[in-house]
Parts: sequence; structure tokens; C-alpha cells
Amino acid sequence: MSGYLLKRLFWMLPLLIGISLISFLIMHLAPGDITSTEASFNPKASEESRQKLRAIYNLDKPVIVQYGLWMKRMVTLDFGTSFASHQRPVFWQTKDKDGNVSKGMIQEALPITLLINVLSLVLIIAVALPLGVISALNQNRAPDRAITLFVFIGFAIPGFWLALMLMYWTGVVHNWLPISGIHSLGFEKMSWIAQAADSLKHLALPIFISSLGGLAGISLFVRNGMLDVLHQDYITTARAKGLSENTVVYRHALRNALLPLITILGLSIPGLIGGAVIAESIFAIPGMGKLFYDAVMMRDFPVIMGILTIGSALTLLGNLLADVAYAWADPRVRRGVMQ
Amino acid sequence: MKRALSNPLALSGFIIIASIFVLALAAPIIAPFDPEAIDVKAILLSPSMQHLMGTDGLGRDVFSRMLFGARISLLVGIVAVGIATAIGIVLGAISGYYRGWVDVVIMRFVDVMLSIPTFFLILAVIAFLTPSIWNIMIVIGLTSWMGVTRMVRAEFLSLRGREFVLAAETLGAKDARLIFKHLLPNSLTPIIVSSVLGVASAVLVESGLSFLGLGVQAPQASWGNILTDGKEYIQFAWWLSLFPGLAILITVLGYNLLGEGLRDALDPRT
Repeated sequence: MSGYLLKRLFWMLPLLIGISLISFLIMHLAPGDITSTEASFNPKASEESRQKLRAIYNLDKPVIVQYGLWMKRMVTLDFGTSFASHQRPVFWQTKDKDGNVSKGMIQEALPITLLINVLSLVLIIAVALPLGVISALNQNRAPDRAITLFVFIGFAIPGFWLALMLMYWTGVVHNWLPISGIHSLGFEKMSWIAQAADSLKHLALPIFISSLGGLAGISLFVRNGMLDVLHQDYITTARAKGLSENTVVYRHALRNALLPLITILGLSIPGLIGGAVIAESIFAIPGMGKLFYDAVMMRDFPVIMGILTIGSALTLLGNLLADVAYAWADPRVRRGVMQ
Repeated sequence: MKRALSNPLALSGFIIIASIFVLALAAPIIAPFDPEAIDVKAILLSPSMQHLMGTDGLGRDVFSRMLFGARISLLVGIVAVGIATAIGIVLGAISGYYRGWVDVVIMRFVDVMLSIPTFFLILAVIAFLTPSIWNIMIVIGLTSWMGVTRMVRAEFLSLRGREFVLAAETLGAKDARLIFKHLLPNSLTPIIVSSVLGVASAVLVESGLSFLGLGVQAPQASWGNILTDGKEYIQFAWWLSLFPGLAILITVLGYNLLGEGLRDALDPRT
């Protein structure tokens, strides 16, 4: 098992290099860089000062040399500093010589996005599992039809539109929930219970919005998985043995139907990270999506590269985790991996 | 085709999509107003007999803008998926037919592309290009071919071992004949199903990009940018946000129903 793990971890390296190369090329294919976006804010900036700036940021060198320089820093996990935000470190905090700590941009944004994603995953599993099972046990009857309708609508509904509508309904018309940001004013002075309640109130809508597609997908997946398993011979055997329907459904069928779910959850990670862009921009949440959007708009290359690299690394780790979990849960796969 | 349309899911999807196509094509005839005509005397009017879906912040008729916006959504969806499917078929066919190192290279490339969070990838490319409908189609197409590639490859790999293909090969059929006469036609069902479902997600992506201001640019109307305007006025003018969202919902629903229905109808196993 540990040999398999090491091999998989080792394979992530060339993949990450490939990803970074493609991201780098895409970024530099198009015209414009930080000096042109900053010049549009400050029309007095002369061509000469722009050239100086380009030289400072190494933007005057050929793309492949720039990539080499970036890679050289990456070897020591140095993600560099942002072009646009006053030289803030892209990834992790650094201390200057006076002992002032300046927090990393991704360091601040990532926990927020991860929190939203983890809570949405919890919500997805908590709701989609029972829905899928109910649907399968009532195949082609009213509950199944209703859940299938929900699934189709969940797939089709534009999340950002639902977000707007809910924001209007709960925030403007009824004033139940705050409509933007992640904290209320005076958050620092609250007790931790009030802090948690405040965060939950702010995150309720974003979490609901980002779990909607997954809810639909996973319910459908559990339903179809259950239907497949319920037609297997060993279920007939279990029933023939005289086991109660509950034991058959929950001990024999559900546990087997859930196995592929592990892989699906692993594969859904890039969607969860990337899908946050629109939700975060609507609710003004300072997460990875918002950071990426702003960086792209400013042509802030180090930040773009940092987010793409870390986002991809998280995705690869997610897939690896899913495979390991699958092997852990399914003895047949485990034996296959060991050999 | 007959079998596909007797499936209730596919039929309802087909009717939805066909009606939207008719509305979009007939937009210049049906639309009561010029979709880009500004009327300062008619700003933010709520829906009425004259303005079925009200007017926006510049006094433009939302119903007319919706009709013309439909053209954008339909066009982007189909062209983007056309590009993705074309790339997917070519790469998947090469990978699945020739195998060996070409297969390894293509599949690793697919792995790399799949590991980058999709929307980030699209956003990174689109933000660097001038936003236009053509760029949107190309970018969505260039970032969504991986699924088709894997599928075509898997189909080819499984078909290669089947008797009729072996027979053709033994009779001396050339590569091109094997690929275009035997392998590709037998892989068409899953390709069609995944394309139809792909159009649904392309429509969603396009509206999302337009919503972020990276898609179709004003004054040209698209459902996504009508929604962006709607966001500004959400406290006073609900109709600006409600209708484009519903239109996107119905279109995507239509494509999904059609795709799932086709899968049920054309899959010999069910």
C-alpha cells in the first residue's frame, strides 16, 4: 500500500509540471500584462517607466526564461509576491526585517473557500443519500418521480441566478439573512458562539447555492447505484435467507451502492473549487474564486499561477485520497492495488 | 430517430428546444421593439401588455432582448460543443486506435487538463482575450473536450476486440476504412448523448461568463448580461432578473431531458 502511495505521489510531480507549463503559456499567449492594466489606472505613467517596471518583474524576457525563473522559485515553494497588491506574498505569510508579518493572499482566501466546500459536501451527502435511497426503493412511483424532477431542475438551474433570487427574497424582502461578506460589523467583539452563528448566517446561502448541482448529481447517482445493486444475485440470496428488508437495504445494498460515490466525490473537487468564482463574486466572499477573478483582471501573474498550481495540486490530492479511500473500503480493489 | 422520439423524456426535451429555436430564429419578426433601442421615457417599467417582460434601466424592452439573447445562448452552446466534440473524436480515435505511446501522451494531456479547475481555466483564458461571442465559443470548446476524448477512446478500445472489426481487419481493410466505416459509426450513440448534455453545460457556462461581464458585451443582449443588469436593479425591478434566469433554466432543462431521453432510447441495454 505504501509503495502504491509513493508511486502515486511521485506521479503527481510531472502532472503538476505539465499543469504549470500549460497555465503559464495560456497566461502569456494573450497581450497585456500588469503594466498595461496599471497604466490604465494611471494615464500619466510613461512608456519609459512601464519598461522599467517590466524589467523589474522580468516581463521583458522570453516566456520560457520567465517560466524557468518561476520554476526555480517553486522548487523552494516560493510562490513570489503579488504584482498588484503592494508586494503581498502570494501563498504564505512572510516577515520583513522589522518583524511585521504580512499575510499570504492564498493563506487568507483558501480556508474560506475550503470551509464553504466542506460544509457543502456535508450538506450534499446528508440530503442526497436519503433522497437517492428513497428514490430507488420507490422506483417509478410518486416519490421517485418527484425526486427525479428535483434532480433535473437542480442540474438546470443557474446557480448565480438562484443566488440572486434568494438574496432578494431572504435579504431584501424579508431581511432574514445578510446578503454579502462573511462577517457582520463588530465580529471581533462577539463571543465564539455568536461568531459561529454570525458566520453560519453569512455562509448559509453560498453553501446552499454551491451544493445544489452536487445534490442533484449525487441523488441521481445513489438512486442508479441502488437500483443496480438491488438487482444483484446476492440481494436475492439475502432476501431468500429471510433477512428483514431493512437489513437487506441498508447492510447489503446501500453499502455496496456507496462505493463508487467515493470516486465521484474525489472527482467533484475541481468543480467545487472553480464553481466558487460566481458565488463568491455575488456574495462578496473573499475566497479563492474572488482572488482569482481579481488577479485575472489585473494580469497579476504570480497570483494566477499560485492559485492554478494550488488548485490543481488540491485536485490531484483529492483524486488520490478518493482512490485510497476506495481501496480501503473495497477489499477487491485493495488486493488489486497491492499486487 | 423514431425510437428516440417515442421516449417521453426525449420528446419533451425536443419540444422545448425546438420551440426556443423557433423563437430565436423568428426574433426579428416577433420582437415588438428594437432590442437595443434606448427609450428614456420608459425606464424600468414593470411587465404590462405593451412590455411583456417590462423594460430595463435604459428603457429597452426586455422581451425583445430575451428573444435576441436566445440566439446567443443557442449558438454558443452548439458551436462550443461542436468544437469540443470534434477535438474529442480526433484525439480519442487516435488514442484508442493506435494505442502505444501516442495514447499515453494524449491521455496524460487529458489528465493534466482535467486537473485544472475548469472554471478557473476558462476564466484565465477568456479574461485575456477581448470578450466576444466567438472567443467564448472557442474557449468553452477548447476546455471541454476531455470527456469526449476519454469516451471515444474507451469505445474504440472495446470495439477493436469485437468480431466484426477483426473480420474487417482480416479482410485487409485499411486504417481509414476501419475507423470511419466500422469504429466511428458504432461509437456514435454515446457521442451524441454526451454532446447534447454538453450543450446544456455550455449554455450554463456562457451565461455565467456573460454574468461576470466576460461574455457578450452590451449593447448586444444575452441572457447572462440581462441578468447582470438585473443585479443592479434587484431591489426595484425583479422582472429583469427573473425572466433571463427562467429562460436559461428551461433551455438547460430541455437539453438535459433530450440527452437523458436519447440515452434511454438508444442504449440497447435498457
